[in-house]
Amino acid sequence: MAVGNIAVTARLPLRVRVRELLDREQVLGPLFVTPALFLLVLLVAYPFCMALYFAVSNAFIGRPSHFVGLRNFVNLWQSDAFRQTFQNAFVFTGSAVALKLVLGISLAVLLNQQLWFKRAIRGAILLPWVIPTALSTLGWWWMFNSLYSVVNWTGIALGIMDPPGPNWLGQKYYAMTAVVTVNVWRGLPFFAITILAGLVSIPRELYEAAEADGAGPVARFWLITLPMIKPVLAIVVLFSTIFTFSDFNIVYVLTNGGPINSTHLFATLARQVGLETGRIGEGAAISLYLFPALMFVVWAQLSFVRRQVY
Amino acid sequence: MESIGRRRFLATTAGGGLAGILAARVPPARGQQREISYLCWNNFAPAMDKKQNDIAQRFTRDTGIKLRIDYIAHPQQPAKYAAEVQTQAGHDLVEMRMHFPWLYEPQLTDVSDLVAELEKKHGKTLSSGYEAAHVNGVWRAVPMYHGLFVPTYREDLFKRAGLKVPDTWEELYTVGKELKKMGNPVGIPISQNYDSISTAGPVLWSFGGMEVDRDGKTVRINSPATEQMVEWYKKMYRDCMEPEVLSWTDASNNESLQQGKAGWIHNPVSAYIVAKQRKLPTADLINHHRSLGGPGGRHETDVPRSIGIWKFSKHVEPAKEWVRYLLGKREVYDEWVMSADAFNLPIYERLQDHPVLRTDPKYAALGAPGVQYHLYGWPAPPTDRIQLITNSFIVPNMLAKAVTGTPNKEAIAWAENEMKKIMAG
Repeated sequence: MAVGNIAVTARLPLRVRVRELLDREQVLGPLFVTPALFLLVLLVAYPFCMALYFAVSNAFIGRPSHFVGLRNFVNLWQSDAFRQTFQNAFVFTGSAVALKLVLGISLAVLLNQQLWFKRAIRGAILLPWVIPTALSTLGWWWMFNSLYSVVNWTGIALGIMDPPGPNWLGQKYYAMTAVVTVNVWRGLPFFAITILAGLVSIPRELYEAAEADGAGPVARFWLITLPMIKPVLAIVVLFSTIFTFSDFNIVYVLTNGGPINSTHLFATLARQVGLETGRIGEGAAISLYLFPALMFVVWAQLSFVRRQVY
Repeated sequence: MESIGRRRFLATTAGGGLAGILAARVPPARGQQREISYLCWNNFAPAMDKKQNDIAQRFTRDTGIKLRIDYIAHPQQPAKYAAEVQTQAGHDLVEMRMHFPWLYEPQLTDVSDLVAELEKKHGKTLSSGYEAAHVNGVWRAVPMYHGLFVPTYREDLFKRAGLKVPDTWEELYTVGKELKKMGNPVGIPISQNYDSISTAGPVLWSFGGMEVDRDGKTVRINSPATEQMVEWYKKMYRDCMEPEVLSWTDASNNESLQQGKAGWIHNPVSAYIVAKQRKLPTADLINHHRSLGGPGGRHETDVPRSIGIWKFSKHVEPAKEWVRYLLGKREVYDEWVMSADAFNLPIYERLQDHPVLRTDPKYAALGAPGVQYHLYGWPAPPTDRIQLITNSFIVPNMLAKAVTGTPNKEAIAWAENEMKKIMAG
């Protein structure tokens, strides 16, 4: 019988045999995953491992490097510019993500209403997210520029600013406000559209039942909307926190880290040290300084999401 | 004459050819390949790039060596160069700004022979070119040209107010006060950009100060000369400038002068050239004057540019041929320099009285006698530590702190501390 079976299988056309093979989950699964895995290893894992090695070495462009342990991390902490950058990163990320969250929820709730030209408005809101950051930031740079600031010009014309208006990119608090503003402007569509997707999926019956029970708009928001979109919010905040911590373009174009390092972020400082000066080891250490903390944030938020979903 | 049979001919030629290949250790296809590539910056004088392309075509026609020139914006150079060095692949030749030969020293071919040839023809390299490309006793790149900083002012305003063209930084303060009253302040950036360093350096040197000593190790920023310099900046900021200089980029002082606001700036000649090319109303009103001096002499920032050959290049000799063609042939070099309209000047001594300086009377102040030209961080050699001090904008930040209220001694002590940490790191 067995012999007969083998003989029958062997006679099957190649196409049929391939189809049978692909029907097996043990074969098809790895087959689908392999290209992505290959790309991940090539484009993420390999550079990441290289960065890890650089961070614990005295690597300098084009010269032999040696293992130095955690010396780069310890030395960095001695630098005033680095400590300032460390503080900037938390101020920048904390304020930008908080603003994006509040404004993103507000915008999403607004977009979820019955509006005229709803589709056009939703499309237009995505524009800041779609335009290349370096390009749009150049526009903002022009708006904050000391010579041509249209922000100041408008403020003075409306009588809400005294001439010559704030020196947006020349004073540290204003400069931080400027870079946070541009980050919020750019990141808001991501929040709004993602949260909108969460809002759309909330069953209308819940609101109808709450209304029948006499719940007002505020109560409906706190007791239905917010709990229902919590997992979406967690994911959006997670992604945004990581992206905002590692922001580069906005600061590089607007302030180059100034004035007096008051807007430097890890990425801009890493470029200054690692590429401009060739100290790849220190540059990599700057980039990876927050890696353990970010790993913890990712773990905590993903755990929260799992608890919410399952 | 002994006749050669077909078989013997084939055996002899094949054997000889094989022996030649083995001796040269170069496969025949590679041996015939005469193609080189050059990674060059997007010149601030675009006409010079265009002219370089024309010259490259003539070079190919005259020598049979194909040359591909790729241009990139200068902010992208460090990342691109780092990638080429790390992968040991890329272009054969690279343009090197200022201190780059020091950064990439182990990866650059020794080109002392080429520099010797050029110096024999054109005279010694200027001191700034030497400081930039002569690394630890070896020429790691060939100096090509330089773009120097020069005081640039609104001649009409000076004449209208009867102001004397300043000769020292102190005299600039005197005229600066008047300029600010006229609504045309002095425009010296005090921010995280390289123009800030380009002015802070000459002011510091002219007061007799320095950041790090000649030995490249001893930090000397905390000195009476630095205190004088900081005090000078404070009074300039208060009486001659506006707070906008704290946010300026490298382009802002040019724009301020070109748009008719600033009355005096310190910049390469590009501010005037661009105004002239764009036919701005201010073009006729702008002029240049001799670099300013002080108790420590008359110093100026210079931006020398060199051309280097990567060690990993497999076409070193053809690459050298291009350098000889571009810089060694006087008529070609002149043609190239002339195309830049005095933005980039010859870097060899015997070419200093170049015809390009006579194309416009407003170029008379360029290369004025008695001025010493230096790289950032002078007199220390531009090692990676000195470059980290420069790239960290420590001196502009020290000045920004002082002019915005930090006591002088505290600001200087901060700078000294930061520099010492870098030197120790």
